Amino acid sequence: MGLEEKLPEGILTTQLETLVNWSRENSTWPLLFGLACCAIEMIATGSARHDISRYGSELFRASPRQADLMIVSGRVSNKMAPVIKRLHDQMSEPKWVIAMGICASAGGPFNNYAIVQGVDKLIPVDVYVPGCPPRPESLLYALDRLRAKQGKETFRTYVDFKAPPLSKQPDEISSLESLRRPQLA
Amino acid sequence: MLNVSPRTRAYETLPGLNPLGIPAVAPLPSGESPDTARIVERFGTALLAAGLHNGQQVVYVAPGQLVALAEFVRQDPQLCYEALIDVSAVDRSELPVSDQRFHTVYQLRSYARKQHLTVVCPLADSGRPSVPSLAGVFAGATWPEREVWDLMGIRFTGHPDPRRILMPESWPNHPLQKQVPVGGEEVPFTLTWSDPEFESFGKQVLAAESKPPVLPPGMNRENMIINMGPHHPSTHGVLRLVVELDGETVVNVDPDLGYLHSGFEKTGENKRYKDFVYYTDRMDYLSAMSNNMGYCLTVEKLLGIAVPARGQVLRVLMAELQRLASHLFWLSTHVLDVSGTGMALLMYATRERERILDLFEMACGARLTVGYMRVGGVSRDLPPAFLGHLDAFLRAMAERIDDYERMLTNGPLWEERLRGVGHISREQAINLGLTGPMLRGSGVDWDLRRDAPYGGYEQYDFKVPVFSEGDSYARYLLRMEEMRQSLRIIRQAVDRLPDGPFRVEDRKITPPPRAELDISMEALIHHFKLMTEGFQAPPGMVYHGIESSKGELGFFVYSDGSAKPYRLHVRGPSFNNLFAISNMSKGAMLSDIVTNIGSIDIVLGEVDR
Ligand code: SF4
Repeated sequence: MGLEEKLPEGILTTQLETLVNWSRENSTWPLLFGLACCAIEMIATGSARHDISRYGSELFRASPRQADLMIVSGRVSNKMAPVIKRLHDQMSEPKWVIAMGICASAGGPFNNYAIVQGVDKLIPVDVYVPGCPPRPESLLYALDRLRAKQGKETFRTYVDFKAPPLSKQPDEISSLESLRRPQLA
Repeated sequence: MLNVSPRTRAYETLPGLNPLGIPAVAPLPSGESPDTARIVERFGTALLAAGLHNGQQVVYVAPGQLVALAEFVRQDPQLCYEALIDVSAVDRSELPVSDQRFHTVYQLRSYARKQHLTVVCPLADSGRPSVPSLAGVFAGATWPEREVWDLMGIRFTGHPDPRRILMPESWPNHPLQKQVPVGGEEVPFTLTWSDPEFESFGKQVLAAESKPPVLPPGMNRENMIINMGPHHPSTHGVLRLVVELDGETVVNVDPDLGYLHSGFEKTGENKRYKDFVYYTDRMDYLSAMSNNMGYCLTVEKLLGIAVPARGQVLRVLMAELQRLASHLFWLSTHVLDVSGTGMALLMYATRERERILDLFEMACGARLTVGYMRVGGVSRDLPPAFLGHLDAFLRAMAERIDDYERMLTNGPLWEERLRGVGHISREQAINLGLTGPMLRGSGVDWDLRRDAPYGGYEQYDFKVPVFSEGDSYARYLLRMEEMRQSLRIIRQAVDRLPDGPFRVEDRKITPPPRAELDISMEALIHHFKLMTEGFQAPPGMVYHGIESSKGELGFFVYSDGSAKPYRLHVRGPSFNNLFAISNMSKGAMLSDIVTNIGSIDIVLGEVDR
């Protein structure tokens, strides 16, 4: 358009989508949440040698409300499954999931009664990382892949949730499940 | 393309596999020891059998006499078995025996006399198998008995808290019973949409619906009840604690376990002996080497083989490096939880830990889940550059430990948060069945490496630090001192590293070297037999405990003579140690719970197994 030539120095032009995606790519905050052996490698990724903060992801948030990324780092047991689903539900959109390690991806060595054969049976997964455990470098590569994916997102993919606010007295709550907002189509 | 699924190629039923050499009734003891003689003298014919089995003292007793026996061996001055280390059970319904389907097995320990006693209690057959609870005699029986009820379905009459512990309360079966399948899904080699196998996919998943919260017994709704975990920044994994608070004072703590229950024991019963080594890595994933060692030693005890000297020294070397790595990780997370300077120490301690992981990687190719040891030795020899790197690390590490201590030991914040917090008296520690630093921090001078030496530890010169204060600060000092002692042991191991084979040359147990496969038909056959069938272990039962970084890691193997363990039970040190959390936290502040969790040093992979 030739607009750039008329602008004074120090002003950038870009598309809003690109700007938003750019900032998301560079500040994907993971949920502070480790399951099993893979979590130890996740911590190693966060510490000095591998330095996950090069990707802007060093801020592991303890509250799902503040996190964008869930790194499912380890095996998911049947008892843990509802908790993971709940945590994922509590994260606000847009959110991403990395299944770290073969256990989270497909059950891995634990093909038995106790372990869910892949966390993708519970929540949608964006990036699968092979390995048992994946090396920190693999996790960083997964983050890289995730950035590529985030870069392609458009506003149209976001869903608009307009559910009425819930107000219930504590003794009206039959189960935690009943607190869940009705999902709008 | 190979399109064979395990369903059509029934691997496990190839003829010739698992010939049965099953003991007629049970692994019965013979001979006698002074202790069993004393027990026989007191109980006479009320005992079913007593004596030695695989070098261990074993007593068989009927359920009616069990509590009397426990009280006697505990109080008798000639015996004084003060602590109950472990409770497990065997479901014998797949053995060719017709009665007494369940046996419960107890491991007792006398710290004063350095003795170990196994008590087996065959239960009368009935729809609801039950046995008197020992929780009244040894408080440490409470959780292990709950675990047996949960996984094996044996009721403990008179148990103070008869809930399930690992599986959800609504779980339909008791998974370790033999008629319950391992579960899981078929693993197809290739898959097309028309495959019938596709249908079974996803069947295993339970509806991810949460249940209404249940108030644990003994808690009062008048007080504030809060929930910590299973996703909580300071619970070290997926531990859930239900805490009853009066203001900020803790009235009651109820740990809820099982969020990482992975069915290790059931899996182990379906794997050949040699294949389970890799699973042990994933149990206490911070001390994979120690787990390897504990398991291999147990199977070797059953097989009755001795590892060559080089293999033994390599094992000790690796196990001590692993203890260092584990303590470093404990230190960094503990500091992170407790004090504000945490992030710095996390970075420092992981810096050193990474160097240890590099060493592991040099030795075996993996950082965390090493699988370095094998039944009969270790998987491979050290690469040439290893010892040079190790030496550089050892020299740096001694100073680093001092650095950490300088940052913490006299820090007012650190002392404030740790001193007097999580106190456990000597009697409590023994009665609760605690082990490792939890025991030594309360003044019990006991270390399996010194008092029941295994793997050649008797040849090393090291001190066992003991503190009598019993608080978190004492346990902190103790672990720091243990790191220094580990360094000493490693140096001695390097100095004495002998030449020679690093694993037994018995081709029935360890595979031939790769080079031999190209030239020797015999080697090829041995290799094939070993890889497809594994080796068989003689019938019998063994328990072997080692001192891992968190306490006594015990493996109990009940063999029917086949290539797989008939029953494999793991005594995870952090499982038993975590039981102390309610004792430690009652009456303390809410924030002290965080200190206590760190001070116990739990790894959920091992707590839940
Ligand atoms: S993938 Fe391997 S390392 Fe990761 S949780 Fe599973 S068993 Fe542990």
